[in-house]
Amino acid sequence: MILPTFELHHPTTITELVEIARDLTAQGEAFDYMAGGTDVLPNYKNRLNPRPHVISLARLAGLDEIGVDRIGARALVDDLARSSVLSEHYPGLVEAARSVSSPPLRNLGTIGGNLLLDTRCWYFNQSEFWRESKGYCMKADGDVCLVVPQKEICYATYSGDLAPVLLVLDARVTLVGPDGERTVPLREFYAFDGITRFLKGPAELLTAVDIPSSSRELRTGYRKLRMRDTIEYPVAGVALALHTDGDKVGRLEVAVTGTEAIPLWYGDLDLTGQPATPATAEALQEALVDRVTCYRNVPFPPGYRKAMTGEYARELFSALVG
Amino acid sequence: MKRTIKLRINGSEHELAVPANALLLDVLRNDLHLVGTKRGCDMGTCGCCNIIIDGRAVNSCLVLAFDVEGRDIQTIEGVTASADDDSIHPLQEAWAECGGSQCGFCAAGFIMTVHALLENEPQPNRAGIAEALGGNVCRCTGYKKILDAVELAAGRMAATT
Amino acid sequence: MARHPHDPKNQKQGLIGQPVPLIDARRKSTGQAVYTDDIKLPGMLVGKILRSPHPHAMIRSIDTRAAEALPGVHAVLTGQEAPNRFGVLPVSQDETALAVDRVRFVGDGVAAVAADDEATALEALSLINVDYEPIRAFLKIEESLEEVPDELKLHTKTVGNTNIHKQVQQDFGDVDGAIDAAKWSKRQRFLFPGVTHAFTEPLCTIAHWNADDRLTIWSAQQVPHYLHRALATVLEIPMHRIRVVRPTVGGGFGGKSDPFPHEMVCALLTRKCRRPVRILFDREEVFYNNHGRHPSKIEIALAIDADHKISGLDIDALIDGGAWGSFGVVTTYYNGVLANGPYRLPSFRYRGRRVYSNRPPSGAMRGHGAVNTRFAYEILLDEAAHDLGEDPADFRIKNALSSYTKTINEFRITTNGIVECIERACDASGWKDKKGKLPFGEGIGIAGGFYISGSALPIWWDDIPQSTVHLKIDYDGGVTIHSLAAEIGQGSDTMLAQITADVLGLSIDFCRVLTEDSDTAPIDLGSYSSRVTFMAGNAVRRAAEDMRRRIIQGAADVSGYPTELLVMEDEHVVSVADPNVRIPYLNAVRRAMKDVGALVTTGCYSSAPPMGGKHKGAAAGLSPTYSFQAFVVQTKVDLLSGKPRVTEVWAAHDCGRALNPLAVEAQIEGCVHMGLGQVLCETMDYHKGNLENPNLLDYRTLSPSETPNIHPILVETLDPEGPYGAKECGEGPLLPVLPATANAIWDAIGERFYVLPITADKIYRALLKQKKQGRYGKRPFSDQSEKSPAR
Repeated sequence: MILPTFELHHPTTITELVEIARDLTAQGEAFDYMAGGTDVLPNYKNRLNPRPHVISLARLAGLDEIGVDRIGARALVDDLARSSVLSEHYPGLVEAARSVSSPPLRNLGTIGGNLLLDTRCWYFNQSEFWRESKGYCMKADGDVCLVVPQKEICYATYSGDLAPVLLVLDARVTLVGPDGERTVPLREFYAFDGITRFLKGPAELLTAVDIPSSSRELRTGYRKLRMRDTIEYPVAGVALALHTDGDKVGRLEVAVTGTEAIPLWYGDLDLTGQPATPATAEALQEALVDRVTCYRNVPFPPGYRKAMTGEYARELFSALVG
Repeated sequence: MKRTIKLRINGSEHELAVPANALLLDVLRNDLHLVGTKRGCDMGTCGCCNIIIDGRAVNSCLVLAFDVEGRDIQTIEGVTASADDDSIHPLQEAWAECGGSQCGFCAAGFIMTVHALLENEPQPNRAGIAEALGGNVCRCTGYKKILDAVELAAGRMAATT
Repeated sequence: MARHPHDPKNQKQGLIGQPVPLIDARRKSTGQAVYTDDIKLPGMLVGKILRSPHPHAMIRSIDTRAAEALPGVHAVLTGQEAPNRFGVLPVSQDETALAVDRVRFVGDGVAAVAADDEATALEALSLINVDYEPIRAFLKIEESLEEVPDELKLHTKTVGNTNIHKQVQQDFGDVDGAIDAAKWSKRQRFLFPGVTHAFTEPLCTIAHWNADDRLTIWSAQQVPHYLHRALATVLEIPMHRIRVVRPTVGGGFGGKSDPFPHEMVCALLTRKCRRPVRILFDREEVFYNNHGRHPSKIEIALAIDADHKISGLDIDALIDGGAWGSFGVVTTYYNGVLANGPYRLPSFRYRGRRVYSNRPPSGAMRGHGAVNTRFAYEILLDEAAHDLGEDPADFRIKNALSSYTKTINEFRITTNGIVECIERACDASGWKDKKGKLPFGEGIGIAGGFYISGSALPIWWDDIPQSTVHLKIDYDGGVTIHSLAAEIGQGSDTMLAQITADVLGLSIDFCRVLTEDSDTAPIDLGSYSSRVTFMAGNAVRRAAEDMRRRIIQGAADVSGYPTELLVMEDEHVVSVADPNVRIPYLNAVRRAMKDVGALVTTGCYSSAPPMGGKHKGAAAGLSPTYSFQAFVVQTKVDLLSGKPRVTEVWAAHDCGRALNPLAVEAQIEGCVHMGLGQVLCETMDYHKGNLENPNLLDYRTLSPSETPNIHPILVETLDPEGPYGAKECGEGPLLPVLPATANAIWDAIGERFYVLPITADKIYRALLKQKKQGRYGKRPFSDQSEKSPAR
C-alpha cells in the first residue's frame, strides 16, 4: 500500500532536527516527527492527516537510554519490557510495556511514540474510502463527531498503555523545540479532546521521560482490558501506584487509559490514611467507576469498560497490598 | 522523486533508487524481487512481512526504506543453516517436518520472528514462544504445529552448539 | 544436518497411514513457494477497482474520460462493457464483473483501470466520476422479507416481490406430534453474526491476453475449473482459449471458492490493453469480497420423548446472503439438512430462507452451512440432557445414528464412528471425573457433528467425472501426477503423491505433482465441500493401479513370470512366490514403454452410486460418505473480567482412514482454531451499510497464546468407497468446537449464551446478575434460561 508523498528528513543531531523544524515552521510547512512509525505509518496509509514533511528520528543518535530516573524518548517499548532496572523499580511500567501491541511492533515503537499515540475511533481509523463512504469526521477531513454528533469536540479514545503508569509515577516529559527546552509534568501534558490531545507545540520534540525519585517508594501495577492477548490497544487500562504506611494507605495514585480522549490521573481520588483492606479496595473501585466515562467508539460496550476499570483497580489494589 | 538508497540485505549491498515514502516491504518485493517476504495486511497486524533488522524481528510494512540505510537486514532468503552453509536452516527443516505450515503464506514471517527470538533466547518455553509470536497470524494450523516446530528446532540447535 | 523428510532412506514402505510431511513444506518454509503476487511478468500493469461508497444505489452515469486521458493509464473498464452474468451455481448466475446499473453494497465494484503503477491507477480511479442515485438499503435481515417494488429488489429472480433469494421447506415425520408428546421440549432463538475466512494471502489475480489471442489467468483459487467456465461466459470466448493457472494459494477455507468479479475484471482489462495486468487486493477489499459465513438467525425446537430419545427437531433458519447468490442455495439447504446426523431423528422439519441484502456477499466457509445450526442443536441437546438428569455424553451415545443406515431425509450413512468418537474423547479428557466437578469458573463440554465428504452430485449436472487424474512415467522413472485438485495448504498434492507412491511401491520423492495448470491437468472440480481426498484420492488410486498393471506387465515381459504373481514394492517388481524374482522398477518401466513411449494412465471418480430421496432438495447434503466427530472442550473463565479461555480440546474425528495422520491432525487443529474464533471473538460488525472492522486488527482471530492444548484423536472406520477407507477431515472437525465450548462455559459458570460470539462482556454481565441474585459460584447449576413452549 503506497504512502502519501512527503519529503523525508533525517537529522542526525537534535540541533539539526530543531533547525529543520524551525525552517519548516517558518515556511508554513506542516510536518510530523516519526520514531518507530507504528502509529504514524498506518495513519498515513489510511490518509489520516498526512503531512507534506516527515522528520524521521531513525538516524538520531542516543535518546534511547533506560534508567531509573530517565528514559530517552527513543527507547524501544521492547527494551522497556525487558529492562531489569525498570522491572526492579517500576514493575507496572514493565507490565504495561509488555502489553503493548505485538512483539515485532514493540521492536519498532518507542516510549515517546506511545505517549504521543494518536487517539482512536471506529470512525477515524479507517481507510479514506471507508471514511468517504461513511462521512468524514472532524478528526480528519470532516467537521462533525460521528460518536457524539451533538458535541463540538472529538471523542476519539486515547489508547496508549504507558501513559497511565507514568502518570501515577508523576513523570515529567522534556520537550525540545525551536523555542528551547522545557519540562512538563505528564499530569499537565494531556489536555482537551481527541484532536488536541496534549500541550505540545507542533515543532516540539519529546526527548525524555523523567521519573522523580520520590516515586521509587511506590509499588506499581497495570491492568489492561483487551479482547485478545495480543495486538490490542487497551479499551480500558488501569495503573495504580501504592505506598503503604503500616497497614494504611500512605499514598495511592490512580490513572486510566482507553476510556476518554486523554489518559486521566485521578488526583482527587484520595484514600490516604484508609486501611489497606478489601473494603478500601472496594471503595476505590466504586470511586473510580463513578469518575470514568467511556464512549461507544472502540471494542466492548462502554458500560463494561467502565465497570472493568473498577474491577481492575480493586484487584490491583489488593495485589499491590500483597 | 526517487533518491538513491543503499541497503544491506542478507549480507549483500543493494543500491537502487526509490522515493522517500518507499516502504521496506515494497522495496523488497517490488524492486528487489525478494518475494519470500509476504504482504498480508499491510498494517502491521499479521506478521507475514516480518523480517529481521539488527537482530530484531519487525514488520517490514511499517518501516521506511530510508530509515534502515546502513542497518543489517535479513529476510527469509537469507536464512540458511549457517553463514557458510547454504543448506536449509533447522527451523525451516522443523517447520516442514512438524507441519508448521499448511498454506505457507505466514511461514516466512513466523520463521523470521522465531529466528530472532532464538538468537536471544535459545531455549524458550512453549508459553514464551507463543507470546513471542503474538504479532504473527496463522489461519491454517491453530498454531499447535508451529509451536511444535519451534520446540523441535530449538532443541536440535541447542544440542549442536 | 537433518535429512530431507522425503529422502527414501527415511521412509518405511507402505505410505498409507504414515505421517508424511507435506511435499511442498520446504518450499514454503524457505520462502520459495510462488504465490500469485510473487509472479512478475514483463510489462505488467497495476489494475485497481473503483468501489461503491453506497450500500444501494442506481448508477445514473459514469464518466471515465479524465481517467482515460491520464498518462500511464492503459485501460478503463465499466460494467456496461461486460454485462454477462456469472456465479458459482448454475441457479444463481447473478454477478457481473462490475456493477452494470446498480451497486449493491459498500465496496461493490463500479469501474476499473489498468495503469503503469499503483499511484497512477489510484489517481485514475479518483478521476472517474460516478453519478449515483442512492436508494433504500436493506441492512436488516427482516427488511429483506418485505414485499417491495421491483426497483428495490436487489435481483430480478427472487421469491415473489421480496428480497428473499431462496426459500426451502422440508418435512419428515410428525414434528408437531413429537413436540406435543415430548417429555422435554424447548424452542430457542440463536443469533450468529457473519464471520469471514481471514486467510493470510490477500486475493490476487494476474491476467494476460497474449499475442496468440489466448488468455492466461493466474489466480489464488480453490475452484480453478469454475473460474474457467465463468471466464468463458463473461468474455464470450471458448474455454479452450483460456488457461487458468493456480499458483500456490495462501489459504482459502471457502473464501477462494467462487469465480470472482475481480478475476473477470482482470481478464477484461488485459483484453483491452493486451498487457499483463495484476489486481492485488488490499485487506479491506478482501473483507468486502467476503463470501464468509452467513449472518444467521436460527430458531430451533427440540423434542425428547419419555425414553430420553430425540423425537423431533424443527429448524427455522433465516440467513443473510448479502449482495450475491454465490453458494447460497446450497447454504440454505445445509442449514437444515445437515442436522440429520449424527443422532437419529424420527421427525424433522425445516424452513430455510436466504435473503439478499446490501452487505458484502456471504458464501461458503469451512463447515459450510452446518456450523450455526449445529451450535443451536448441540446447545439444546445439552440443556435437555441436563434437565433430564442425563450425562450429556451418554445422552448423545443413546441417540447416536447407527452405521449403514438411512436418515429420515434419506442420507445414506455408511461407516459411522460417532460413538467411538464420543467414548474416546471422554476417555482422553477424563470426562466422568470432570463434568460438573471442576471449580466454579472451570468447565467441560461436549458436542458432536457430522459432515459431508464431497457432494454426491456435482454443481453442474454434466456427464463428466467429478475428478480425473492423469499419470505419466517416462524414461527417468519419475511419476508426474496431473490433476486440477487445488492444493490450498490442506495437503492435497501430498495426498495424490502418497497414494501414487503407495500403489507403485515407490518412495514419495518419485512423484511430482502438477495441479496448477488447466492446460495440462484434467478437470477436478476443486477444493470445496471436503471432496478432494475422497474423489481425487479415488481417481489417483485408479490411475495408479492402471499404471501398476502396465509396469507389472513390463516386468513380466522382462522376466517371463506371470503378472498374477508380481507386485510392486521397494522400487522393484517382485514375485510373491519367488524371492529371487526382483526386477528393478526402472527396468520394468522401460520395458513397458517399448511400443508406446511414456506410460500414461488416467483414473477418475464420477459420482457416488444412485442414492437419496425423491423430495425437493433431496440432493442437498447428499454425500458418498459422512465424517463424524465429537469434541470435549475444557474452559476456564476469568471470573474478574469474564474472559473465557479454552484450555484443552480433545478432538475425536472419524476420518474413515487417516491416509496421512500428520495432515489429518493439522486439519483438525486448524478447525479448532477457526471454530474457537467464531465462538469467542470473531464477528463482522456493521454500522448501517459499513463494515466496521474490515481489517485484521479489529477482525480478531485468536492468537498463539490463546491456542488451547489440542489433542486430535483419529477414529478410523474404513469407509467402503473412500480411498483406502478415507473420508473428509477438513471441515467436519469445525462443527463441534463452537457448541462444545459453549457447553463447557455452561459447565463452568452455569450460563447459556444464544448470541455469538461469547465475549468477556457478556459473561461479565451474566456473572454480575448471578451475584445480584445470590447464586454466584454455586454448583450444581439450574438452567435459568426462559423456556418458551416448543410449539
